Amino acid sequence: MASSGWELAVNESGVLKGHEGAVLAVRFNGDGNYCLTCGKDRTLRLWNPHRGIHIKTYKSHAREVRDVHVTTDNAKLVSCGGDRQLFYWDVSSGRVIRKFRGHDSEVNSVKFNEYNAVVVSAGYDRSVRAFDCRSQSTEPIQIIDTFQDSVMSVHLTKTEIIAGCVDGTVRTFDIRMGRELVDQLGHPVNCISLSNDANCVLASCLDSTLRLLDRSTGELLQEYKGHKCKSYKMDCCLTNTDAHVVSGSEDGFIYFWDLVDASIVSSFRAHSSVVTSVSYHPKDVCMLTSSVDGTIKVWRK
Amino acid sequence: MADVDEEDYVYFGTPIEREEEISSRKRKAIAEPGTLRSLPPWKQEVTDEEGRRRFHGAFTGGYSAGYYNTVGSKEGWTPQTFTSSRKNRAEVKKQNIYSFLDEDDLKDIGGNTLETSMQYDTFGFTAAEFARKKAEEEQKKRPSAIPGPAPDEIVLPASSSIGMRLLMKMGWRQGHSIKDSNAESLSEIRREARKAFMALSSNNAEPDISEKDADGTDEFPDMSIDVLRNSENTPVYVLNPKQDMYGLGYDPFKHAPEFRDSKRLRESKSRETKRSKVHMGSLLSSNSKKYAPGFGIGALEELDAEDEDIYASGFDYEQTEVELEPSKAVSSSSGDRMLQLENKKRGSLLGFKLASDSDYKLERFYPPAIPSNFRPIHKFGAPLDQTLKNYNSVPPPDAPPPEDTNLRLLIEGSAAMVARCGKSIEDLYMEKSKTNPLFLFLKSGAEGYDYYVRKLWENKQKFVDNLKPAEKLTAENRGRILGERPLASTTSRVNDVSVKAREVINTQSSHGDTVTKPISLADLPDSAIKQFKHDPAKQERFELFLKEKYQGGLRASGTRSSTSTSTMSEADRARERLDFEAAAEAIEKGKQTIQISAPSTDHTKDLLGFGEDRFVPSTLIENSETKLEETNVVYPKREQFEWRPSPILCKRFDLIDPYMGKPPPVPRPRSKMDSLIFLPEIFKSSNKEDAKSPIGNSLEASKSGLKEAEAEPSASEADVAPTSPKNVERPVDLYKAIFSDDSDDDEADAGPALNQAPNPVKSSEGANKTLNRLVAGDFLESLGKELGLEVPPDSIPGPSLNANTVSLPEEQKSFKGGDDRDNTLFPKVKETKSKDYGSTVDSSREKKRSHSKHHRRRSRTPDLDLDSGSDSDSHRRHRSRSKKRRDRRDRSRSRDSESSDEAYMNRKERRKKYHSRHHEHKKKDYGDKYSDKKRRS
Repeated sequence: MASSGWELAVNESGVLKGHEGAVLAVRFNGDGNYCLTCGKDRTLRLWNPHRGIHIKTYKSHAREVRDVHVTTDNAKLVSCGGDRQLFYWDVSSGRVIRKFRGHDSEVNSVKFNEYNAVVVSAGYDRSVRAFDCRSQSTEPIQIIDTFQDSVMSVHLTKTEIIAGCVDGTVRTFDIRMGRELVDQLGHPVNCISLSNDANCVLASCLDSTLRLLDRSTGELLQEYKGHKCKSYKMDCCLTNTDAHVVSGSEDGFIYFWDLVDASIVSSFRAHSSVVTSVSYHPKDVCMLTSSVDGTIKVWRK
Repeated sequence: MADVDEEDYVYFGTPIEREEEISSRKRKAIAEPGTLRSLPPWKQEVTDEEGRRRFHGAFTGGYSAGYYNTVGSKEGWTPQTFTSSRKNRAEVKKQNIYSFLDEDDLKDIGGNTLETSMQYDTFGFTAAEFARKKAEEEQKKRPSAIPGPAPDEIVLPASSSIGMRLLMKMGWRQGHSIKDSNAESLSEIRREARKAFMALSSNNAEPDISEKDADGTDEFPDMSIDVLRNSENTPVYVLNPKQDMYGLGYDPFKHAPEFRDSKRLRESKSRETKRSKVHMGSLLSSNSKKYAPGFGIGALEELDAEDEDIYASGFDYEQTEVELEPSKAVSSSSGDRMLQLENKKRGSLLGFKLASDSDYKLERFYPPAIPSNFRPIHKFGAPLDQTLKNYNSVPPPDAPPPEDTNLRLLIEGSAAMVARCGKSIEDLYMEKSKTNPLFLFLKSGAEGYDYYVRKLWENKQKFVDNLKPAEKLTAENRGRILGERPLASTTSRVNDVSVKAREVINTQSSHGDTVTKPISLADLPDSAIKQFKHDPAKQERFELFLKEKYQGGLRASGTRSSTSTSTMSEADRARERLDFEAAAEAIEKGKQTIQISAPSTDHTKDLLGFGEDRFVPSTLIENSETKLEETNVVYPKREQFEWRPSPILCKRFDLIDPYMGKPPPVPRPRSKMDSLIFLPEIFKSSNKEDAKSPIGNSLEASKSGLKEAEAEPSASEADVAPTSPKNVERPVDLYKAIFSDDSDDDEADAGPALNQAPNPVKSSEGANKTLNRLVAGDFLESLGKELGLEVPPDSIPGPSLNANTVSLPEEQKSFKGGDDRDNTLFPKVKETKSKDYGSTVDSSREKKRSHSKHHRRRSRTPDLDLDSGSDSDSHRRHRSRSKKRRDRRDRSRSRDSESSDEAYMNRKERRKKYHSRHHEHKKKDYGDKYSDKKRRS
């Protein structure tokens, strides 16, 4: 394990400060050159994490911003949060192009699809809703309400919508087949993350366990334990090589597990408070973490 | 000729004639004017001396001025916009109504009128009017499809005048007064104005001015405050008739309304003096402030002391000039002003003075001194929980309340207090009891002590129960509160159950009055409880069941379902409950034997052993497969459902809609309960039919499942086969729900209709029935094809439906066992049928009526609700669900039929009764059974 330790982003190389209050999510953009953060101070911020520059602040949300996603062409943003709306932003001008309404409650997670034509959001109102970016309508074009509880996290592939829910399920909605696959994990799912090859889904459960599922069979491949995740919405992810699993912890630690044998490769204190989000660079060994303590840290090997 | 014509011609009206007529007539008229006389007025023509037609009727004054029979201009009809010159290109000419009007028309309209400029219309009174006029003008200028002025609604009035706009530019906002908050500049202006005025009014006023100026500077700060205070709003505009000679909008009492009344008084007085002209001089001299005659005080002038009443009686200018005594006036006025200034400084109203000493004094209390050793954290002496636990462990015996109601109330109250506030209060009461005989009950042994102890305990219990939900709200807790199905593996099972059990015990023992059997589990032999050793989960449930049974006494279904695993299906739970019930009974018996003959433990062991033997196999056999998926659910578990993406979503994802052109989806059940009941079976059936229907398409599958299920009852109505209950029972109801015709009626009707088919007496209803039958026949045929069954051709859909022929009484027995459900279908119907055996129409109507009656009765006794068609949709829906549960229950019952469920027996008996009645009254309904029998054989 020590041999592979060198390729983990465990050394702090920078701190991005600017958010007032907790930072709830940090996301690399598609090519990993920029990152977006959002937080309790109702703003979105665009950074260059490699140079540590704050580029832009997007203000319009009325409540805390819980998630943000950027299109593949870096032209548009979508963000969601406590004000039950999705904000569709123009990146360069910083103006809100549209607000998508429809959620009855806080929105936990939001994603663009591959063609940046649809925004899919997951909310506390036990539903996943899809909105059309190309039409003028602000109403959802699809509502999936088979969930029994708050939907915490949503991911999209080319043909599927994958969502993790507090009712203990990871649901995969296959648009091409018209099928809903329900993988019951038995524990509230806090966050889901896809492996880079999109064959596996990593689900962070509220029993302080990460579970790796095979997407085609629904088989449980591995469980990762050691961190603390019981009540906060926290992120987990896989490293750029899919060799390790990363997750924050409620005590401010970051944990690295080996993907295959589930041993803790590395764990270190990153923040003084709950680590809300981790994001791994799509290609390089670089990681961003955000915390309730209001800082975003950049980690390199 | 003129004289003659005078009489003949009519001078008004403009005849409209066709051209050819006119031309022909003109010639005629010229030729022989005499003939005109004989013509009616509208055919006569006006000609001049030479017989030329001059009057054309085109315009009101209609004489062609030299340009004969044309428009009246040189150009004639040539368009004005057209110019032949190349250099002088056509310009777009603005046409308005005036270019089409002559002087007379203009005169009529009003012509060259003077108009007010709206630019200075400060309040926009005429803005609307102006806007409308402007719009009209525009309308006239531009060519429009719609002639005439635009409607007022379309045109919005221009709002702000130029003055308004200027003010806005300067920072003024609507609703504020125009006064500048910067009072210095204002006062500056005012002073200048006053100077000018003084200079103009009197020559010898110089010293006064200087004096006033000095005073004025003193005054201004106050004034500026005043201004600030008053600059909030513009004064309310009140419509008063103007009776004075002040400038427009000038109000001398603007800032001193209290003087208005005095002024009014004075005015009336002065009027009197004017009338009488007696005391004028003296009055005016008393009115000494009037030293400033003439014009000069502008709107800028604030109300000051010196010019207060300057226009007070406007008619007396001359006199005031004469009577004026400036020095006196100034001195007195300055005295006045001094007083006012003082008042202003004090912050009170004009003309009022603050009292130098007042009775009212604000009393101030200093905060209590905090002792130096005080620590701002409170520590509770004795933890409440410990005492509570003590109370938990040993519930004191129930005691009767004392007779004295006062005492009882006192005891209850003090018990509640002690329970809430702890031991210290009790000690306080104890102290009191030394002096006050009322609190004697606190001493043990005294009257009411037992009751007090009991009450105290109960209150503590309640208090504990109240405390419980104040725990941290986790996902599980919330789920429990909301009654969601707990995720099976979220907490370790044993702990969960034990906690729940404790809770249940607490809540139930808190309702001390309802406790029936306060026997603890402890005195039961261990082996007695361990009835289901082979299945730990079940064993736990059983223990819980026992606890509830013995300690709770209350066995409300709500608490039970909350504690027992809700992952089980309804039917399984019911079955398990039966098991438990029986086992508990056995234990009860065993205990009784223990109590009777304590040493003979062998016997009880035997008995228990017997019980174990008895219950182990049945549960093992029945639950072995279901157990696996119920309790030991292996996570992750994968399920698959149909899901319909919306077409637009597919389009946006660049995918082909998998449900393109397919019928709309079957609504999926929302609640977990429904899915527990519905889905497994749907999927089972889908599995069964995988051979026929495409894999994964559960819609298709469920549909075909439906069809199959429909076919079954039709194919074997009486064959009610316990062999394949799953497929028969549920979907029949579904089918009924979908095909909204009351299928029971259809079934019942079809029989007689068939019988009466050869009957010569055929009504329209009969025709309808045959039509229905045809449709039904088609349907059945298609079903048959799909299922690979032989369905007889259209004319005889019969063997399945009720053919009402008499059958043998021996067959009654054969129905009882299996087919009691179907036989009890229409007890009432059958009664009526037996009455009018031959006539069809009436009987069918009667049947319907009796049907509904039947349902009403049934809904009251759900136990008997074995099968029925329902008229109302809601009823049907409800029934389809309840029936499902019932079916499961039936199945379970059929499996362990030897279980001694009394209710079940009752039901059976009642059903038998139905049977017998049904067989008494009904003679002809046996045909179907008969045919069924035939088919079976």
